[in-house]
Amino acid sequence: MVKDLFMFAGFNENSQIVWFKIIYSKKPGSLSLITDFLEKENAFIMFGHLDNITQKTGEYLIYTELNENMDPANLAQKITSVEVVIEVDYGISKYGMIYSVDFPLNVIGVRGVTARALTIVDIIKTLNQSVPHAEGLLTVSGLKGGIHAAKYFKSIMPINDSNYANVLAELYRAVGWGILEIECDPKTYEGKIIVKDSFIADVYGSADQPVCAFMSGYFAGYLTDYFGKNISVREVSCKVTGKKVCEHVISLAPSSVSQEFQIRGTPSDQAT
Amino acid sequence: MIRQPNAILGNDGLLVTMGRKGDILGLFYPRRDHAQHVEESLACIHTGEKLLWTNDNEWHSIQNYIEDTNIVSTKLYHDSGIRISILDLVHSEVPVLIRRFKVQSQKKISGKFFYYSNFNVGETSKKNSGFCDTDARLLIQYWQNYYIGIHSLPEFTEWQIGKAMDTIWWTNSKYDMEDGKLQRNKEDIGNINNAAGWNLELEANGATEFVIMIGAASSRNLLYKRMYELSKMSLEYIFEKTREYWVMWLSKKKVLKMPGLVGHENLRQELFSAYNRSLLMLDLLQDREYGSFVAAPEFDSNFEKCGGYGFCWNRDTAEIVLALKHSGYPEYCDMFFKWSIRTQLPNGSWFQRYWLNGDTAPSWGNFDYSTQIDETGSTLYAMNVYYRILEGLKKIEFLDEVWVSVLRAAEYLMKKTKSGLHESCMDLWETYYGIFTYTNAAIYAGLMGASNLAEENEESGMAKRWKKRAEFIKKATIDRLWLQEGYFAKGIINEKLDKTVDSSILSAYIPFGMLSPKDPIERDMILFMIKNIMKKLSVPINKSYGIKRYENDSYIDGNPWIVTTLWLSGAMFALALDIPSEKAIFSPMYDIPYEKEKSNIENVEDLTNEGIKCLKWALAGATSTGLLPEQVDKSTGKPAWAIPLGWSGSLMLDNILLLDKICVRKAGKTEKS
Repeated sequence: MVKDLFMFAGFNENSQIVWFKIIYSKKPGSLSLITDFLEKENAFIMFGHLDNITQKTGEYLIYTELNENMDPANLAQKITSVEVVIEVDYGISKYGMIYSVDFPLNVIGVRGVTARALTIVDIIKTLNQSVPHAEGLLTVSGLKGGIHAAKYFKSIMPINDSNYANVLAELYRAVGWGILEIECDPKTYEGKIIVKDSFIADVYGSADQPVCAFMSGYFAGYLTDYFGKNISVREVSCKVTGKKVCEHVISLAPSSVSQEFQIRGTPSDQAT
Repeated sequence: MIRQPNAILGNDGLLVTMGRKGDILGLFYPRRDHAQHVEESLACIHTGEKLLWTNDNEWHSIQNYIEDTNIVSTKLYHDSGIRISILDLVHSEVPVLIRRFKVQSQKKISGKFFYYSNFNVGETSKKNSGFCDTDARLLIQYWQNYYIGIHSLPEFTEWQIGKAMDTIWWTNSKYDMEDGKLQRNKEDIGNINNAAGWNLELEANGATEFVIMIGAASSRNLLYKRMYELSKMSLEYIFEKTREYWVMWLSKKKVLKMPGLVGHENLRQELFSAYNRSLLMLDLLQDREYGSFVAAPEFDSNFEKCGGYGFCWNRDTAEIVLALKHSGYPEYCDMFFKWSIRTQLPNGSWFQRYWLNGDTAPSWGNFDYSTQIDETGSTLYAMNVYYRILEGLKKIEFLDEVWVSVLRAAEYLMKKTKSGLHESCMDLWETYYGIFTYTNAAIYAGLMGASNLAEENEESGMAKRWKKRAEFIKKATIDRLWLQEGYFAKGIINEKLDKTVDSSILSAYIPFGMLSPKDPIERDMILFMIKNIMKKLSVPINKSYGIKRYENDSYIDGNPWIVTTLWLSGAMFALALDIPSEKAIFSPMYDIPYEKEKSNIENVEDLTNEGIKCLKWALAGATSTGLLPEQVDKSTGKPAWAIPLGWSGSLMLDNILLLDKICVRKAGKTEKS
């Protein structure tokens, strides 16, 4: 996902942003041949990534800033002439704002989109203002996403007690949702998650009650799937109420039924 | 969330709407319009590894009715080799839905069978209460005096009552099933859901059955007794009793003969089935206590995309009860007119729409300028049609019963039509304010009907006065709304003539009879209208064409409607029956009438064949269970929007009866020759 994004803060009318997707045969020095060639052609590489498609071929994806008079088709043709290059595709980002080579985007195994934080927060605000049980609805919605994320990571890499928290934190940072500090004891399933710069709290404005139920649900889903136990995650302090950071408390969901808990969500860490 | 049913079933006190995969979409008790107690109710299987919801895309389904009944069969096939056969019926005497699930699997399964429900008892998610009586093995949810309960055979072995939408998500029954076992919480309050579970142990190619009963009652005690008594009866016995009930009910119908129909393979059988299905469907839309009908089972109760359909409109119901009367069920007329007498407004008119108990429903027709005068005309018209078929004492008693109502309604119409055309009001499509051909035709028919009733009641002064006004309306409508292009204008909107072609102008012929084919000029007018509607409103889909309501219709994408298409075919059939013996006229499609010289019988053939095309198109737009929708999607050809729509069903009955007459007449002629 982020790998394919090229974000431009400004706009230079004398240049054009062009991407090239270069399929090449993997031999020692292949990449050097390609980059040397581009340098000779005055194609300034701004961002690139490599993708190992097969053992024999690779994909080299680059964004370049070219002089406005340069013909990208001509350059693509020239790149094709490099010995190790098999195929070249290209595209122009006319207005140089946000561009992605791959469409649609892919986020942890499924289609993704980019959105302004405010867009999502507007949805959350509307739910909070208009829908009964909005907090529960957001929790349950987040829960699904968290479960999916855990399942996906387990399918592509070994996840264990030493990395499950870091994986989650890395994901949050990568998608721009926030910076996480996770403390959780895998034996007691108790702990807390500090969210700095939560995208929800940052743009929500002020409120009397915590507003990051979607994130609580997401954490609960992720941890529930990882631990194989029902995990309760509850936001106990939120930036919108004037706190510096958002804090979510982790605990094992009660397996037996506590009547007062059932009737109204008593804080889970007090219920048994 | 708007979800359209594929089947409906019920009895006097219960109406159930169901998706194509056997998921319950609506459970209406005790009335057809209120209260709707279900948000979700369906089965799922935990294979030992994962949960398979039966409404997921991975399942393929075949759904139909058991012939001549309101019993539904749904067969589900999963890619993994699991097959579920569901038999759904509502007991003929008590408001209990009985669901038999037969589960088969090609592979061995060691898992669970779950039945999940999210009830909104009393049509609210608030302040519900749920509990599991583990002794009686009953899961019950209630709100005020509405009790909904689940019992099963074999008895469920695990259960959960939990919060449906809360931060304490792990009590949610929907999630509780994910790990293949339920927490067995016995009670909870608020916005809650529930699940029942059974062990599912199947060898390869093995099968097992679960019977789930979902009952409704007005008290806890009554629900317990009902479920207990039912649990003692065998499913085979209940099935037979229910099947017998519907077959017996259907045996009262006017029998179709439909001889001939050469060149229309299987059509005869299809029409017999559609006739039976329309009758069975319409019976389910009627409120037994009040005699009113819902236009369709409600599917948009939040009015998200329309104004809702779970109410009674006099316009629709007048056509429905007459169709039922023509089909051999006059009692629906009697009940509806009793209801109409009770619901008539003080000024003599009828309101836009009502709750089934006669209370005024949510409306956008609360003022004189926004009322729909045609509904008063339709009701009077229907009263007179019903009166005409009655005999003896029943005739006298009916007239005595409705007379005051007729008088008030007729005087209301007189007050509204002083200049010949009616005063400005809302049109039948509930979209425009103005003066409309359809409304004028309905008023004409209402006043002519009232005039006849007055004559019969020895009130000849009134009879003459009302008839004179009706004739004045007819003249004014023709003078001011008939266009030289050969059709009636839609009406006068914002004081300007609106020349939009609108299929409802056909009402000037059927059902309201303002134009008579016995008059050569009026016969030509009818033919011109038919031609223009075909030319301007045909939408090609499903290998033929359907008719949309009017040009530039934008409601739900401007799809063709069953009602408008069957108006067209109905007009063709009626005309085929009405064409006198002299030289005549119909040239199909877009030719100008009179251009072709054809023999009379050929014209009858043309009309009949073109009408049959429309009829076939309507049949092709039905659900897999044969229910007629309001519309047919113009891109996919699938049933669209309100399903089933009572009005569509009533026009199907009218069309089939007309075609039957044509076939019988033709067969008679053939025999003579």
